[in-house]
Amino acid sequence: MRTKFQLMAALLAVVLGVAGLAACSQQGASSGGASPASAGPPQRGGHVTVLKDSSFDGSWPTGLDPATNATGGANIAQMAAIYGGLFQLTANPDGSGAKVEPYQAESYQYLDGGKTLKIKIRKGITFTDGTPLNAEAVRFNIQRDMDSPCSCRPLWLLAKNGIATEGDDTVVLRFKIPTASAVNNFPISNVNWVASPTALKQMGENKFRLTPVGAGPFKVVSDKLNSELVLQRNPSYFKQGLPYLDQLTFKAIGGDQAAYQALLAGQADAFEGMTTTPLLDQATKNSKLTVTSQPPTSPYVIQLNTKIAPFNDEKVRQAVYFATDFDAIAKGLFKGKYPVSQSFTAPGGLFYHQTVPGYRTYNLAEAKRLVQEVGGITVKLGTLGDYVARQVNIALQTQWRQAGINVTIEDYQLNTLVQQFNGGKWQAMLQTAGAWDPAAGVGVAFRFRSNSPFTGVKDTHLDGMLDQAAAELDSAKRDTLYTEAGKYISDKAYAPFGLAFAPANLAVKGVYGPGLTTKIPPMVVNPGILWDQVWRSGK
Amino acid sequence: MTAVAERQGYRGAWTQALRSPVSRLVVKRLLLAIPIMLGVTILSFWVVSLIPGNAAQALLGPEATPDQIHTMELQLGLDKPAYERYLDWLGHAVRGDLGTSPVSGQPVTPQLIDGLAVTSELLGLALIGALVLAVPVALGAAHRPGGLFDRLSIFVSMIGLSVANYVLALVLVLVFSVKLAMLPAIGFVPLSESVSGNLKSLILPAIAIGFPLFSIYTRFLRGDLVDQQQSQDYVVTAQAKGVDPWRVLVRHTLRNSSFGLIAVVGLNLGVLIGVTVIIEQIFALPGLGRLLLQAVSARDMVVIQACVVVFAVVTVLGNLAADLLQTVLDPRIRYGDR
Repeated sequence: MRTKFQLMAALLAVVLGVAGLAACSQQGASSGGASPASAGPPQRGGHVTVLKDSSFDGSWPTGLDPATNATGGANIAQMAAIYGGLFQLTANPDGSGAKVEPYQAESYQYLDGGKTLKIKIRKGITFTDGTPLNAEAVRFNIQRDMDSPCSCRPLWLLAKNGIATEGDDTVVLRFKIPTASAVNNFPISNVNWVASPTALKQMGENKFRLTPVGAGPFKVVSDKLNSELVLQRNPSYFKQGLPYLDQLTFKAIGGDQAAYQALLAGQADAFEGMTTTPLLDQATKNSKLTVTSQPPTSPYVIQLNTKIAPFNDEKVRQAVYFATDFDAIAKGLFKGKYPVSQSFTAPGGLFYHQTVPGYRTYNLAEAKRLVQEVGGITVKLGTLGDYVARQVNIALQTQWRQAGINVTIEDYQLNTLVQQFNGGKWQAMLQTAGAWDPAAGVGVAFRFRSNSPFTGVKDTHLDGMLDQAAAELDSAKRDTLYTEAGKYISDKAYAPFGLAFAPANLAVKGVYGPGLTTKIPPMVVNPGILWDQVWRSGK
Repeated sequence: MTAVAERQGYRGAWTQALRSPVSRLVVKRLLLAIPIMLGVTILSFWVVSLIPGNAAQALLGPEATPDQIHTMELQLGLDKPAYERYLDWLGHAVRGDLGTSPVSGQPVTPQLIDGLAVTSELLGLALIGALVLAVPVALGAAHRPGGLFDRLSIFVSMIGLSVANYVLALVLVLVFSVKLAMLPAIGFVPLSESVSGNLKSLILPAIAIGFPLFSIYTRFLRGDLVDQQQSQDYVVTAQAKGVDPWRVLVRHTLRNSSFGLIAVVGLNLGVLIGVTVIIEQIFALPGLGRLLLQAVSARDMVVIQACVVVFAVVTVLGNLAADLLQTVLDPRIRYGDR
């Protein structure tokens, strides 16, 4: 892990130098953003190789079985290409109008005030082994997913015998409490991917992890764990004329720099989730590439551990709010490319509001006064070691020191970070909060609900507000409830929010697709590319 | 009678061979390898167990609660004391069973074989390339110390010694893949698929590993050659007899200087293994280094231990080969003599 960390650090250290060299090789400048519409009608055939960062979405150590893929949230691309999904998130090319739509499902209906969800499955869909994807197959999968110890399953409170079928085409989910966000939860949880029960039984779990069988646009040709996944067109795919591509390959690569150079060398066609901003600047000017920055959905948040000192004192928390200037960070470090949020929502997600009434903005004099009043503040600020987070943490350290706060910063690897949270002794952590739907996936409850292992807040009133918002079926009422929750967090100075960053997708010219060269808000980190509609011209 | 004599003759030859210094060296080293392997595997087991997280965490995902992790630890036997888990692993390993990864559910041996094929080819190319180039360059430099070629070789070697492998790798890709489009930037083509494709896919990673090696070997050999040329009586004698300076350098001095070089090559093997981890990552090569890195990320102790064993065996055997080569080249060395 350490070696991996050193490698990433080393790669980042040379990013600027090598990127500079790379810039010399570019002829002319062009902005990215070619949309499929502007490229003419989609063409059939061809092969696309997509690079994935080996330290994140290019790693699938537990395989690609929905019930056991512990990194399923990161491997959405691979899972969607193989399984398709009951639901998917779609949006207009500019990222607006995003909504979760039935896909292998035909329709859905909430009943009993959100305590029952009926999902009707499309008729005639078959897995690539020829067996039917029907209600029983879906029930079998959801039951198996919910029984799995993997934390990739949704945190639903299902009633007893809460997963049932009605006829051959309807699955009924019954919850103990209203769960209005259940459908929005599908595209980022393992229940969305329906595996062939027959293939699973025939192969056994260990073999199935490597050569899974789904009903998505592609079927598995070969799978080298954490290295390369080769897929070919599913001829019995339920959508007429799709997928466009004959073959799709996912290849893991060691970081942004290596991926960028591989794209320039023509060794790959796309890279998902670039975060190194100097490279993004280079890529945007490169005439060979299309850069699509996704609308952000998860703003950075400085989590404060209110259970222990010094942040069990509200005045200390207020001092941190006043000492933090995310606008300056956004302008200074990221040239104003990323908006700054004051709550757990961001422009690409649901229920976003630019400001929160009464939010404590940067006020150095007030911060200094409060620091003096509480007799000085010493704090350790940690984060997960990626490029943007590290840059932000360094800037925060400088700002807080100006206010008289004695701060040390530390980068953690994921395992160590989890350990820190589980230990409960951490003081402040720069993390991301929220998701496209605040109640879905790693949403607001993940960072703020009392029973989450990754929260710094223990407040039953806030728990109630979040639960009520997650249960509300009416969208306008949900918006009001989340706005109130955002204001409550701000009033209690639980956690200052910051810039809302989303990674970008890079594609070579001539490769197009929704979510790849158009905008689809990321449900959590990477957007869900609609692989069946990805196509390439001239090959 | 003849057959008996023949059999006795064979037996005698075998006995003689087994009693030879070289055989004794091999047996001694192989016996010594046992505690080394034990030490290395114990050390790696201990170090990895100190890092936060384990296979249970990897199986359950980052959002797992401490209770869920604890339950999975019980299922996987990770609650047992480390020594007990180590002995359990060792018991299987000595019987040739390297186990099944608890994280991926796949047997380890096929993964190791696949990875080893890539890594050994990569390292072989890097080492051979570095040596094949270093020897003539060092000879050329030592032929006229301080001359233009010597200065040029110092300059090139200094670049190789100063630039980190990963920087070199990225620059190589930029020049040969991006600008010149001559060689692939990523990926591996198996030898069985295409010989030329295989070579092409390994040239850049091999240079990234081999260039710093070439620099070390060149500087080392050049220094030794110059030292021998200037201080050894046999060189002066040969020169006094009017032997061609190139002939003295190549036929006499090089042989004596090569002992040190062989030792350096043997010692470098361990370092090379570390380098492959980084280079395989950059060039997306499915080698052993990459497998090890992924296993460490997932705290997959079974795979980590298997990789460590392979690396340790390669290092021990590499050093043994270096020692054997030295005994062949240098009659003064008689390992195992009583």
